[in-house]
Amino acid sequence: MKGYHDIQGDGGSGILEQVLEKQSRIAESLSGVRNVVAVGSGKGGVGKSTLTLQIAAVLKAQGREVAILDADFNGPSQARLAGVRDAVLVPGDGRVPLPRTQSGIGVFSMGSLVPEDQAVDFESVSRGESHTWRATREFSFLGDILTSFDWGRLDLLLVDLPPGAERTLQYAEFFGPGTSFLLVTIPSDLARGVVARSVAALRKTPNRILGYVENMSGYYCADCQAVKPLFATSEGRDLGIPRLGAVPFDPELARLCDRGLSIAERPDLPAARALGEVAGRLLEILEAVR
Amino acid sequence: MKFLCVPCDQPMKLATVSPPERGSLSVVYSCPACGYEMAMLTNPYETQIVSSLGVRVGASAETAGSADTGPGCPFSAMIPRSETTTGDGEPVSWTPSAAARLTSIPEFVRPMARTGIERFARERGYAEVDERVLDLARSFFGM
Repeated sequence: MKGYHDIQGDGGSGILEQVLEKQSRIAESLSGVRNVVAVGSGKGGVGKSTLTLQIAAVLKAQGREVAILDADFNGPSQARLAGVRDAVLVPGDGRVPLPRTQSGIGVFSMGSLVPEDQAVDFESVSRGESHTWRATREFSFLGDILTSFDWGRLDLLLVDLPPGAERTLQYAEFFGPGTSFLLVTIPSDLARGVVARSVAALRKTPNRILGYVENMSGYYCADCQAVKPLFATSEGRDLGIPRLGAVPFDPELARLCDRGLSIAERPDLPAARALGEVAGRLLEILEAVR
Repeated sequence: MKFLCVPCDQPMKLATVSPPERGSLSVVYSCPACGYEMAMLTNPYETQIVSSLGVRVGASAETAGSADTGPGCPFSAMIPRSETTTGDGEPVSWTPSAAARLTSIPEFVRPMARTGIERFARERGYAEVDERVLDLARSFFGM
């Protein structure tokens, strides 16, 4: 009796060929993007989204073409950070144009589509079983976004990932080996431990880990104009990947973010200088890879 | 998933797909050698897993009754709530040409786009969305 692999095709369901065809359309849709960099951590609350937007803002101010895909569908924050919460999708002649920040950064975020007092809810014929299919549906939806929106010609597409080391791995496998990863941590032993798990997960893939950024590396006191420690650390765990820079916590940066403004508005801030160094280092590494 | 006619040792071919009923999909396969037919009946859990891949069973097959098991609009359950919170004005109609342009927006975000454009039109005193309103909206949002 024949086995599965003895039979060519699937008898007409076309499921596998549709999945492969979608992957082909994703590649075509991103064909104008020079670099796809996923910004992850594994740990939540370390400032992935803030750093993603501010790195994009620095690069945009330098004349680079940058867009952001907020892949955290269930906890989207880019719409608020980027000031595109009230953006409306308006049909174009082909793919859907991206909402843009004041400085011209294209941003897709579910926060532009779903009010903050509503949870993202997918239609289902199998209510009460979402733990079995939800992740699959979300990645299918991610594919829809990639194929439907006009990403155009970009120097850099930054993908703002949701938390979770295993999720980081899933995104690596979804995007394929051409996507690089930038990890974000804070100086606490707890956060570095979780990021170490993400590094371990990504090491199982062919994806390149560009390095990490230490966010909230200290507290910038505007009165004494000095950076003071925020976290007491003891282990000093070596993540085994390059450190691209350290960005101090600055209440002024938080204020800018809350108003949907970018660090480019305040280049005098220590955080702005640190982000500029991170962005520059990121570009150096990406160019060296090419 | 593949189906094999054991007596013939031949792969069976998809014949028809019936529309989902209460979450269950009926997919009929037949053996090209002996003509024997069998139906695969999915439970809602199985239907949903396939649907979550964003595919249609038998989408390319020219079969009568092919059914869309794809996800459709994943947010349709949310639209009524969205409209009650934002659609608090007069109804806005669409010209055929503007509605045609709306179809270029993928189904999964079309309801939100429609709601947003109607709100944009209503706030500016337009009772109808035409191509001029769409162009105004594109310009306003810097697209």
